[in-house]
Formats: sequence, C-alpha cells, structure tokens
Amino acid sequence: MTSSEGLSEPPVSAVEQAELQSAAIDEPFSGAVPPQSSLADGSVQPCCPADAVADMEANKPQIYTRLVGYSPRINQQLARYGVKFGLYKNGQFEERLFPFDAIPRVISAADWAVLERGLIQRVDALNAYLRDLYNGAEIIKDGVVPEHFAYASSGFLPQVEAIMPPKGIYSHISGIDLVEGDDGIWYVLEDNLRIPSGASYPLVARTLCRRCDAQTFQNAPLVDNRDYAARLRAVMDHVNCGGINVVLTPGRYNAAYFEHSYLAERIDAVLAEPSELFVENEVLYYRDSTRNTRVGAVYRRLSDEYLDPLCFLPESLIGVPNIMSAYRAGNLAIINAPGNGAADDKGIYYFVPKMIEYYLGEQPILHNAPTYLPYYEDDLAYVLENAQNLVIKDVAEAGGYGVVFGCELEPEVLADLLAKVKAEPRRFIAQEVIDFKCLPTWIDGEEVPRKADLRAFVLSGETTTVWPSGLTRYAREAGSSVVNSSQGGGFKDTWVLSR
Amino acid sequence: MRILTYVFETALSFSEPVTDHSFVLRCLPKSTNTQTVMDSQIFTFPRVTLDEQVDGFGNRIMVGYLPEGHDSFNFYTTGQVMVAGDMAGTTPCHPMFLQPTRLTQWTEEMANFAREVIASGVVILSAARSAESKDLPGCDVGYPSTTALRASAQDDNGLGVLPQARGLCRAVHERFAYVPGVTSTSTTAAEAFGCETGVCQDYSHVMISLCRSAGIPARYVTGLMAGHGATHAWVEVHDGQRWHGLDPTNNNLVDDRYMLFATGRDFEDCPIECGIFRGAAEQTQEVSASLGDATSQNDPEQFLTF
Repeated sequence: MTSSEGLSEPPVSAVEQAELQSAAIDEPFSGAVPPQSSLADGSVQPCCPADAVADMEANKPQIYTRLVGYSPRINQQLARYGVKFGLYKNGQFEERLFPFDAIPRVISAADWAVLERGLIQRVDALNAYLRDLYNGAEIIKDGVVPEHFAYASSGFLPQVEAIMPPKGIYSHISGIDLVEGDDGIWYVLEDNLRIPSGASYPLVARTLCRRCDAQTFQNAPLVDNRDYAARLRAVMDHVNCGGINVVLTPGRYNAAYFEHSYLAERIDAVLAEPSELFVENEVLYYRDSTRNTRVGAVYRRLSDEYLDPLCFLPESLIGVPNIMSAYRAGNLAIINAPGNGAADDKGIYYFVPKMIEYYLGEQPILHNAPTYLPYYEDDLAYVLENAQNLVIKDVAEAGGYGVVFGCELEPEVLADLLAKVKAEPRRFIAQEVIDFKCLPTWIDGEEVPRKADLRAFVLSGETTTVWPSGLTRYAREAGSSVVNSSQGGGFKDTWVLSR
Repeated sequence: MRILTYVFETALSFSEPVTDHSFVLRCLPKSTNTQTVMDSQIFTFPRVTLDEQVDGFGNRIMVGYLPEGHDSFNFYTTGQVMVAGDMAGTTPCHPMFLQPTRLTQWTEEMANFAREVIASGVVILSAARSAESKDLPGCDVGYPSTTALRASAQDDNGLGVLPQARGLCRAVHERFAYVPGVTSTSTTAAEAFGCETGVCQDYSHVMISLCRSAGIPARYVTGLMAGHGATHAWVEVHDGQRWHGLDPTNNNLVDDRYMLFATGRDFEDCPIECGIFRGAAEQTQEVSASLGDATSQNDPEQFLTF
C-alpha cells in the first residue's frame, strides 16, 4: 500500500530565475525533437522511426538505455534547480532532495487507452458526487453512500453548501494514485482532489533528460507530455469568470514555491501572494504598483482551511479575506473548488465504484483495491477473520497516520485494534494488500527491481482529459511498498507510448 | 404571534487607525419557520458598500471592505420581525448537525453525563406527562404542550427528542454558573464543561455537545432576547419535524421573546461580526441591543424590557 502524504504540498523549492527560464523555455534540444501533433480523433501521431519499436521488442537495449548513465548528472541539476519536497517531521519543516531515476515507467499505448478511459470515468463521477453532495445530496437520500461517511469526513465543508462553482466543476486537477498489480491489473489506491501536486517533477525531469540525450526522445515512440501547461491553462480559461488567471502561492518561503512559479509562468498567469489580492464588492482584485486588476480564476496552492479567514479558520494569516464572497457571487473560479476533501477521503473511496454506477450508469473500468467497511456486518466478519492479511486504516486520522498492516502487528496489538474496530466500526476501513509490480530502477550503480506507484493527473475543463504522463514514485528499499518521498523513495518519469 | 421591533448597535474602536478592513456581519435577522422578517435596515459608519449574501448555513451575511484608514467602525441595524413559534411548519435537518466540531467535540465524560440525564428524565417526564402539566420553568408563553412533545420522535423509552433536550437544557443550566470573563470565544465545550462556568456561548456549546453525543441534531443560534441588552446565544434541536429553540443559559424554551440572527454548527460558523484589517491596533467593542413588542394591540412604547 502506498499513500501520498509526502506530496500533500508539493515538491521543488526556489530556483534561480534565470536558470529556471533557460530550463523551462529555451528547450535546448527542442529543435531536434519533431513536435507531435494530435490528430482529430485524439490519437497522437508517432514521431519515431519504426526501428525504435523493434529495439524495444527485442528487449535489449531498451528505449531508455542511453539515459541511464545520466542519472547522477540529472540529479545534480535537479539539486541545483532546487527540485525538493518539504515535509514536517517532529514538528519541524524539512526540505529534502527527491532522488530521480532516469529509467522511466513505460506504459504501452493499449494499457494507456484503458487507464485513460477509466480515469476520465472516475473523475467525472467524483465531480458528479461533489456537485450532488453540496446541492441536495440525492445519493445520500438514495442510500448509496451512508450519511455518516459523507458528513463525518473532515473534508466536508458546510461553508460551501449550495454554492455551485463556475461550470459546475469541483475537481479541475485530480491526482489519482494507482499501482499495477503483479496480475497486470491497475488498482486505484487513492484519489487526490484537493491540491494534488507533483506534475512539475516529471515535466522538469523530462526536460533535463531531453537535454542529456535528445536522440532517445527522437527515437522513442513517446507521447509528448509538454502540453501540461496548455491543458491547465485551457481549464482555467474555461472556468474563468472574467479577469486574469492567478496562481496563489503562500509565498516565496514555501517549499513548493518553485512549482508555483514554474506553473504560473508556463500558463501565463500572474503569480500572487495573498497580500497582493483583495476583495471588494464581491470581486477579487490583484493589486500591483500601478493598478488593480480583476481576477476571474485563481489556482490556489493553499488548502481550504487557510483560504479565507472570514469563512474558514479565523486564525489563518495566509488567506485572502472574503475571497469566498467573490466565489459565492459567481465572480471567481477557485481551482480546485473548496470542499473537495469530502470526496477523497479514506471512507469515501469505498463508494467511488458505486458513484460511477449511480451517476454515469456505467460499470467501473478501473478497480479499487478490494476494500471492506466494518460498518457493514459481512465486511466486519471478514475483517475480523482475515485481519492479518489486511491493511487497516483509521478514517479519522489524516495523512499516513493510522494505517497499519495486520501482518506486522503482535497478536495482542492486533487483537486490541480489532476490538476497536468492533466498537467503532465506522472509524475504520480495511484493504487487501496489493502485491504490486516492480520496475527496473537504477540504485547505487546497478539495475534492481523496486515497487512503484503512479500518480496520474486528470484535468477537467470543457472536457475531462488525462495528461499522458504522470509521477511515478518508487520505494528505496527492496521489497518495500512504501513509495513515499518522506521515506527516502524517489521518482521516475512516466512514458506513455504512442503505439 | 407577535411583532418585535429590534435595535442593535455595535461600535468597534481601534487604538490606532487600521486599513484594508474586510468584514462579514451577521446582524440581520433571517426568515425561518418561526420568524418572518418584515423590515430590516443597516447603516454603517464609516459608510461602506455592503453586499448581501447567503452563507452555507442559510444565514444573511453582509460583506464589506474598508480600504482607507479608520479608527472606528460602527454598525446599526433595526427592523421588525413577526415571530410565531406556535405556527411553525416542518423544516428539514442537515446531517452536519449531528457531527462534532472543534468547539463542540464531546468527551466520554460528557457522553456519560448526557446518558444519565436522559435516563433520569424518563422518570421526571412520565410524571409530568401523567399530570398533563406544562412543567416549563421560566416559560410564560404558550408553547409546545406535553401533548405536542409526545407527538414528536421518541426514543426506546418512549421519550421524545424534545423532552430529552429539555432535560439536557436544565442539567446544563443547573451545572453551570454564569460568570463572564472566565471563558473566551475559543473555549471549547469540553473545557467549559470541565470548569462549569461561562457565558451563553459556553452554555450553548456544552448543550450542543451533549445533544449530539446522544444522537440529537443540535445547532447554535445567535440573536436577541427581550430583556437582554446584548446579543444572546442559544440552541436549537431537531425532533425529526422541525427545529425547536432551547435556552440553557436561562433554562427556557425559546418563544416569541427571541429573535434570531444566524445559525451554525457552533459559534465559529456564525459570529455576528468578524473582520481582518492591517494595523497593530487593539480592538475594543461596545454593543447595545433592545428587542421589544410592537404588536399593534400593545402600546408601541411599551418595550418588554431593556
């Protein structure tokens, strides 16, 4: 099992602006890489000679082989650019490097086609759930999702009850965490609908890889992933209520400032700190030295509870007072919408396949990890019987806390836990441990197998699309399934093949 | 049914001028199933454009922004509402009012206390019921009779939600000493329950916690009460049909001497005034309020109390 705490607020910290620009804009080898064009049917035209595929099929050398030797160099560059992530440990904020492995995860076109359809379906259903939950909650009345699970979630924000976001979109950027099981089946482990981060890692890493070896990218039949910014911008433009687009960052000392400034520049939005924004007469304005400019859409990189001290946590010092009044009045799109936490917590996860059937009338394409809710009697019996094979999660605990593997507990500790589960069944969920596939990974000078997950980024605007790339995280230790960056894991680029 | 006239005035003073003052006011009555707003006006000084919105709890809020420096901010509101608790229709209850909040999270001790109170209430209320009496201390206006109470949802012992809530209301009232200045606006129900003192906000938070621990949906109410020169807070519980007001500070059933401004899960959802400004100023506030009977057959000068 994996979870995503290490990335709850993203990577990458301050970078020298000049270097950033050279990395971000002056693609050194962009001339050498033929631009790929999307065909009208949505497929991507391959850009490589056929023998690259033959290479791959022959198994050796792999399409990425030429990159492997560049790993140290690319890691040096990432460190210099400040590609880091921040984490809280013992109450202290720490910044750490996020090791990069140049061997990418490679996903075949056929696999990707299934993932893509499944992810779009899942995110469409999650958006439908949020729309419903805050506007009448028919799914609760129909008994599909029990009331307790919907409203005991700490992500449920009654402050946004009955506010319909522009164009009815709640989750504009969704980060869906998946693993590929040993059986070759992809399982969704977690939905992240608040501020899913991490898209900039593979973007930056691919740029650096391309610089090291343009040849590889000329030869490999890869779907280009450089359109992330264009997709993000299209989403913002679609929901914009009149005015400029802004990326709202808590400030330059935030560990994720690099990602904020990087994305703002790429989508041609203004990067603003809270003090540069104010609300007057239900309109959000960006204030610079010369004038005030109306803001129509804000991609905020601070969490719901800190967004508006006059609506959420009154002690928040980093929010924009009354930004929620602009949102309520329909004059501002907030990306992602506040209140999304109601759809991505551990207790609600169980119900996502049911949401797909309920809202879309379709069978779920992607599987959940088999999950049991002790709330239901049959499931409780199963959990009590099979606890040593299960992961048991406390729904009330945030982040990675309250997640335990039954097999790792002493019998008496496990018995105590099960007593708790029996006493308070609503507080827990249990999941089968998914044995997920290892990927070849270059560690300490040799290629070794390591378990890895994938965060796919789904963008919802006029239509819902999946970015043909993603963040692959791998475990540091052999056999470990803990891919969290906070546990020393690293990341890989994710290559989607065009055929 | 009565028509009430209210005047409510707040003066905020800052020890030095402040700028960029954003605020939200919840000082206008809203129409509910027990009250209908006939007229309400608001005036602020310094003058500022106010935008009226409805928050997630259905409250009327006035939103404003004062960018220029000012060392005071005053708002006056006045109007008339028709209150008719006895003619209330049914209203739904959102499930959020069963969930704890950070101010109303109960402890095991509180849950036990609530259980004991409800268990002992069975005896008291069966006696009251057999006598068909209106054992409602401090409540001088015709309000739900025991017959009406019996008609509402009942627990295993045949005790309705409302009698249970009455029991909790009385228990909180008896347990607590009204002492201003001991607690603050951020005191939790558990803290207040421990020190057994507080003001109307604490009485209400504790009662809300106790109700929710016993599975009774409860919400926080701010408003005015005749005879009370400041704003007041009380509790509403939902009996499956509609919301009923109970005032644990005074051990009253809420009747047509009360007018409500706003409701929420707890105080933090519905403060009457909240604001953020630039400047290292100390803020002090003065509040005055009056609520009087303006029903035509009564002498309009004859306010119930001040």
